[in-house]
Amino acid sequence: MKFKTKHIITLLVSAGVFAASGSALANDSDELEKLRALVQELDQKVRVLDRKNELAEEAAATKKKETPIVNASEKGFGFKSADGAFEIKLKGLIQADYRYFNQGFGGTGINTTNTPAADGFLLRRIRPTIEGTVFDKYDFRFTPEFGENKTTSNSGIVDAYVDARFTPWFQIRAGKFKPYVGLERLQSGADIKFVERSYVTNALLPNRDVGASIHGDVLDGKLTYALGVFNGVADGGDATTSADSNQDKDYAARIFTTPFKDDANVLSGLGFGIATTYGDVKGTAASTNLTSGYKTDGQQNFFQYAGTTIADGKRLRFAPQAYYYYGPFGVIAEYARVSQEINTAANAGHKTVDHDAWQIAGSYLITGEDASFKGVKPKNAFDLDNGGWGAWELVARYSELNLDEDTFKNAANTAFATTYASRITSATSASSWTAGVNWYLNPEVKLALDYEQTSFEAGGGGTATNPIDRKDERAVLGRFQIAF
Amino acid sequence: MKKITTGLSILLTTLALNAGAAEVTLLNVSYDPTRELYQDYNAAFAKYWKAKTGDTVTVKQSHGGSGKQARAIVDGLEADVATLALAYDVDQLSEKGKLIPKDWQKRLQHNSSPYTSTIVFLVRKGNPKKIKDWDDIVKPGVAVITPNPKTSGGARWNYLAAWAYALKKSNNDEAKAKEFVTQLYKNAPVLDTGARGATTTFVERGIGDVLLAWENEAFLAKKELGPDKVEIVVPSLSIVAEPPVTVVDKVVDKHKTRAVSEAYLSYLYSEEGQTIAAQNYYRPTLESVAKKYDSQFPKINLVKIDEVFGGWQAAQKKHFNDGGIFDQIYGK
Repeated sequence: MKFKTKHIITLLVSAGVFAASGSALANDSDELEKLRALVQELDQKVRVLDRKNELAEEAAATKKKETPIVNASEKGFGFKSADGAFEIKLKGLIQADYRYFNQGFGGTGINTTNTPAADGFLLRRIRPTIEGTVFDKYDFRFTPEFGENKTTSNSGIVDAYVDARFTPWFQIRAGKFKPYVGLERLQSGADIKFVERSYVTNALLPNRDVGASIHGDVLDGKLTYALGVFNGVADGGDATTSADSNQDKDYAARIFTTPFKDDANVLSGLGFGIATTYGDVKGTAASTNLTSGYKTDGQQNFFQYAGTTIADGKRLRFAPQAYYYYGPFGVIAEYARVSQEINTAANAGHKTVDHDAWQIAGSYLITGEDASFKGVKPKNAFDLDNGGWGAWELVARYSELNLDEDTFKNAANTAFATTYASRITSATSASSWTAGVNWYLNPEVKLALDYEQTSFEAGGGGTATNPIDRKDERAVLGRFQIAF
Repeated sequence: MKKITTGLSILLTTLALNAGAAEVTLLNVSYDPTRELYQDYNAAFAKYWKAKTGDTVTVKQSHGGSGKQARAIVDGLEADVATLALAYDVDQLSEKGKLIPKDWQKRLQHNSSPYTSTIVFLVRKGNPKKIKDWDDIVKPGVAVITPNPKTSGGARWNYLAAWAYALKKSNNDEAKAKEFVTQLYKNAPVLDTGARGATTTFVERGIGDVLLAWENEAFLAKKELGPDKVEIVVPSLSIVAEPPVTVVDKVVDKHKTRAVSEAYLSYLYSEEGQTIAAQNYYRPTLESVAKKYDSQFPKINLVKIDEVFGGWQAAQKKHFNDGGIFDQIYGK
């Protein structure tokens, strides 16, 4: 605009000069004055237009600062106020799986049919999520479930909680959410490296519970802590949103540290910690307050308490845990032990059983991206037109679950029996090898293919004293996932 | 031994003093042309407060059109003190924000206005359009620079000064006053959001023949540009502009800064505060300082808003609220 102004003025001044020369020749000073006035008038008009443009730009810039920001990009979908104090994020997770069983025990619950479980497609997770913030410090998340878990959780609600971030070191979360206990559980379902989590997570530690937690980061975020009180759930359990069936509450605590997170060295991706839960749980014949069963990667039950066995006293879990990420390499290791007091509804005898599980899993991004506890962002998205191939990751895991031998004995622990659980139909341990490949087409879309082989002790028939080992489960698990 | 004891006493005293000293930060949300005034005043107050209490006070400044600044405070800008262009804007902190009591104006002397100002004309060197009084700026072909009364306190003072002149000239004929002010705004080619923006339009962008300006702003422009660029023209009648100040009660209680904020405003009435105001071309209210700087300020026939318009609430409602007279004349 200023360029134009200068040219207009130059032209006009030139015109004025020529005109003035003509006028001078004609001694017509009035003409010269009129032209000068005209030039000045036009000059003012141009300046006013310039200034109005300038003010309009300033007003637009100010308005922009106050205008809510709408986001629709690879970072997600949502909108927020200009100052970021109010925000809504729309998220979603769809996992379309296929399970192929080459060998194993099939059917539902504990069964003895010597045929593999049925192959087939299933929708493992279908979770739309509304997440947001009000008044800068108060977050919320609401996630219903429309996938397979809907039938197992007795509730269509996966997460529904409010989180008040008063300070980084003092935050309160209340509602239904993942208790701060298991490391792999705290990893998002969209970010897990395998199609299914390990025994530590799926079998022994709580999945989601209803309650409240105080949590926060201290020492510049190098140490996180959490203390919580919950209704309490059985091993691997997902709480319903209804009232607690057991008056006593569960208590959970966890500390986790990443002491070198701010350093640029080989240890910067190291994190480790320990978590525990404690509760006093009484079951009844109608509501045993014990696990409905431990499952393989292929989601086949291989252990189940007898129908009359109930929780009858203290339940103590502890879970040391660690991860390490360095460049494209990552490893996660976790152990869990649960000590559970049980009985039968008819009071056959009170006893304590201790089950434990552990896992170690490694991952390697062959396309060179940095591994992390959170998702993978490919260097180049898969794009046939422009030649990108996304990110490729190799993964491998060993995971084990061992059940206390006393679980399968009589009340006095003097002989094997089926009083509390049967070795005829339930395995006493399971060991799983899993290997797989993940293909991240872009940050939101992933294809995963795992092969898992699980071997068992007992649970394949026979007698309580001489059980037969259950046949190995061999399965291929495939997943096509979108998470945004 | 005595030396050691004395040394220890000094050390302990110093430590005790340092342990008690605090660092305080205040936010002064003000109108457009007070930047220079508060830069000078903040430095003086910090020195005074340090000597008095040992505390270090830092005062942050925010400037903009007065109405706009008031809205920002109501919307959550955490101002410890507000030093705005007119009482109506401060009233909004009470009425809309519930941040201060309704009788805030009674808390300090002179209706909480530690200094005053008025409206004058700034014209280009040699006064090419021969502008002497209000009648000259409504003539066809005269371009008047004034900000938007919807956002600027200074602009509302400009408007009311023109209206007061027209009323007096027409023996209180409101229709003629409206016609006069309508003509004035027909001559205004651009409306900035604040007084400083209008000064930029006139001085830096070279637009217009006359700038309706705060007296202090006109003096400052003349001082910075030199008398060979602009001249001040004093009209036959103008208005007493009383920019008020207040602590923002809810904010100072939240920040625990009430004592220092109140002292900050009280010190504006002190000899030093008044001198700084006068040096920045605001008319002091303290008689001793006013006398000292008497020659600096031209003698003008000044009217008061209460006398002509019945106070700010009435003036705002009639002239500047949505659908008011300004909307009627500027929409034409």
